[in-house]
Amino acid sequence: MNPPFALKINRHGQCDIEIVWNDGLTSVHKARDLRLACSCAACVEEMTGHRIVRDEDVPADVQPLKISLVGRYGIHIQWSDGHTTGIYGFEYLKRLSLNPHD
Amino acid sequence: MTNTITEASILSALKEVRDPDLDRDIVSLGFVKNLKIDGGRVAFDIELTTPACPVRDVMKEDARKRVAALAGVQSVDIRMTSQVRSSFAAEGRADDGVRNIIAVASGKGGVGKSTVSANLAVALTKLGAKVGLMDADIYGPSIPTILGIKTHPSKQGERIIPVDAYGVKVISMGFFVADGEAAILRGPMLHKLMEQFLRGVEWGNLDYLIIDLPPGTGDVQLSLCQMTQLTGAVVVSTPQDVALRVAQKAIVMFKKLNCPVLGMVENMSHYVCGKCGHEDDIFGSGGAKTAASKLGIPFLGEIPLTTGLRKSADEGRPPLVSDPGSALSKNFTSIAEALAAQVSIRAMSPELSQETQINF
Repeated sequence: MNPPFALKINRHGQCDIEIVWNDGLTSVHKARDLRLACSCAACVEEMTGHRIVRDEDVPADVQPLKISLVGRYGIHIQWSDGHTTGIYGFEYLKRLSLNPHD
Repeated sequence: MTNTITEASILSALKEVRDPDLDRDIVSLGFVKNLKIDGGRVAFDIELTTPACPVRDVMKEDARKRVAALAGVQSVDIRMTSQVRSSFAAEGRADDGVRNIIAVASGKGGVGKSTVSANLAVALTKLGAKVGLMDADIYGPSIPTILGIKTHPSKQGERIIPVDAYGVKVISMGFFVADGEAAILRGPMLHKLMEQFLRGVEWGNLDYLIIDLPPGTGDVQLSLCQMTQLTGAVVVSTPQDVALRVAQKAIVMFKKLNCPVLGMVENMSHYVCGKCGHEDDIFGSGGAKTAASKLGIPFLGEIPLTTGLRKSADEGRPPLVSDPGSALSKNFTSIAEALAAQVSIRAMSPELSQETQINF
């Protein structure tokens, strides 16, 4: 089985993201949910895995300003609230697409 | 009635000629170009995917024989050309003009990775490719020594112009750190440096950019795998078990980062006595070949340990330049050809050279 690979990253609506996967599926990720799911060290406690970033820290209309590739394994999102340290691996995005509220 | 040779009949004959690495016939691969029929005289080009093709002459002769056998053909004139295919699908990339980027890695130091990188770069150049060599071994940059480089890169505005060594364009940390001094750099600085070496250097049009990584699995490797979509990595090891086990860690790292592993090279495969030619397996034997096979990675070739190679590295005269007919030069040439074949296979395969398209 091939590891998850994003073939296309498209806009969905105003500011959400649509991913077309190598397994034939397509997933849609709402901007604010994705921002809150950032797994960088400033958003998630490295040792415990507890979420540091809180709902009230992130504006309701947060959106991706720029998306770029990180090697062949993920994307980097530059967020409108100034947050730029998150790398979203394809495996992580795939997991999110299957369980959006984990 | 005269026999008129048709394009269709020529292509039909050429469909029997196959590229052994890509496992397809040269017509469906689109290699046959500029076909001209003038009475009984036929002329065409066969455009390969790399100048470093060991079966070039065999293929040419095979094509010639088949076309010559057609009724009405009096002469066949074939020109073998090459156009290295890029492993990058996307246009307008930051490293414009560079068609393939290959990292040379090792699990630990002392396996001769830099000697392999340098000689691989020279071998590819001698085979006709345009090659760049980036010495990313920040703490122990040995490429300038191995290639006998005495000059420094120049600057053109903000761009760094690489140094030429035996036809290879070279950039090394060694150029920016004075002799006797050490580069003491940590994470973020290394990342910035890699960015500058990749994007701030005037590499121009390159078929292959070889990156000599530091040993192990650290910041430089991670940064490079993030900043660019490497065509793949080559892992150098000695036959010794210890070296192999550590080499496997490097391979696991690349797999985790979704970076293709193009193959393994076994350095110091055995010692050859300069006086009597006696061979001694001082580091064990065949270890890397077995490991490559177990891991499902191509084995690109082996290089023996000889005083000659060590001397050439210390004196800055690669064997391909000082003794091109030597067995050592032939080893490096065949490894270069095997590497070029792996790169071609990736570049010509849509599944293997998949790239994420960002429409945002």
